[in-house]
Amino acid sequence: MPMLQIENAGIAYGNNVLFSGFNLLLNKGEIVSISGPSGCGKTSLLNAILGFVPLKEGRIILNGILLNKESVDKVRKQIAWIPQELALPLEWVRDMVQLPFGLKANRSTPFSESRLFACFEDLGLERELYDKRVNEISGGQRQRMMIAVASMIGKPLIIVDEPTSALDSGSSEKVISFFRKQAEKGSAVLTVSHDKRFADGCDRHIIMM
Amino acid sequence: METIDISYLSLGIGLLLLLIPLFYIWKFKTGLLHATVIGTVRMIVQLFFIGVYLNYLFLWDNPWINFLWVIVMIFVASQTALARTQLKRKILLLPISAGFLCSVVCVGLFFIGIVLQIEKVFSARYFIPIFGILMGNMLSSNVIALNAYYSGLKREQQLYRYLLGNGATRAEAQAPFIRQAIIKAFSPLIANISVMGLVAFPGTMIGQILGGSSPNVAIKYQMMIMVITFTASMLSLMITISLAYRKSFDAYGKLLSVMVEKKEHK
Repeated sequence: MPMLQIENAGIAYGNNVLFSGFNLLLNKGEIVSISGPSGCGKTSLLNAILGFVPLKEGRIILNGILLNKESVDKVRKQIAWIPQELALPLEWVRDMVQLPFGLKANRSTPFSESRLFACFEDLGLERELYDKRVNEISGGQRQRMMIAVASMIGKPLIIVDEPTSALDSGSSEKVISFFRKQAEKGSAVLTVSHDKRFADGCDRHIIMM
Repeated sequence: METIDISYLSLGIGLLLLLIPLFYIWKFKTGLLHATVIGTVRMIVQLFFIGVYLNYLFLWDNPWINFLWVIVMIFVASQTALARTQLKRKILLLPISAGFLCSVVCVGLFFIGIVLQIEKVFSARYFIPIFGILMGNMLSSNVIALNAYYSGLKREQQLYRYLLGNGATRAEAQAPFIRQAIIKAFSPLIANISVMGLVAFPGTMIGQILGGSSPNVAIKYQMMIMVITFTASMLSLMITISLAYRKSFDAYGKLLSVMVEKKEHK
């Protein structure tokens, strides 16, 4: 069974059709990157998988569950999601990284500093960042921290919008290796990225027109 | 001990004190002069009217009329809350009315029937002032809390969606915004409680002492008034937020357009 199945999907805002007839099959352990010109609907597609944007046509099936009004909460429990330019209104890094672990859906994977620091190391982050204020860290550091958190909550599907937009090429490579590790553990990773180097490191690269 | 009446002439002289705040409001061009004058005139007229109809309510002392009066208070309070929060009528009117009604009835009757142990719980002398003080406090705290809750949800959409998108239940995703609403609405009340009797001499206590009660009785009433206003305000807020949920969010948990759209002036 594929982890994510998108069949003949289309999104439109009023008369403005972003895309139609989009198909995607994402398997366990696979990393897929989507790119395309601005406004073609990449972020809207990710938001549709999360149930935030309605499909005009087609359907989305996640881990065997058809996404609809009744199943949306169940579907979201299968996902670790990092939106584009995530800026949470929290003062301390420790509160930011621990936030999703307080949710009932994530209680089976309790937060552990040692696991977090192991992920920090893989992603080229220093431990000291954990005790800082959020406004004392850079956008790239924040991005990688949230990638670490997304991997730690152990969901079958990780969705990341622009994971390397604030990173240099060295850090981008660390992120792709990190995703590779998660994929080996069984998660599927779906990203939207304009970073060609990052896209080349994924199993598949889909270009939306 | 008898209460000293204030003659109308003395009242007029007393009201002259308002010239001091009005002068500074005008001097610093705050734009509040008109609102203050209108507000003061409304207060004077409304209180005179209240004086008249409270006399009649006490005279009749009819439970049905007293309860009808509470319904009128709830209707006026709900309309005021709608105007001050700028939230859509179809979203807030029923939830806030239900919140006010349930809280004022439960907490008010608990105080009159169980704490004061008055047999005639609908007796106008207790029923009207107790329900009135509860309504006033619930209205002000609900307006602050609802403004904070909905403006927080609008401003911090990313936080709300991040939580939902990472498996939060609807209640978990709303929790940070309810937390902020409670902090904003109840911090002044909590601060007030902690300095009560030291920095602030509250209205009920002063009223009772001026009315001839002993300080021992007055402090007990004051304690209970603080407790019942706190409880009723919190209860009504929670009822309002729970009941407003279905019309504030769609089936996918997305926040709908909750504010009244302002018409643009050409």
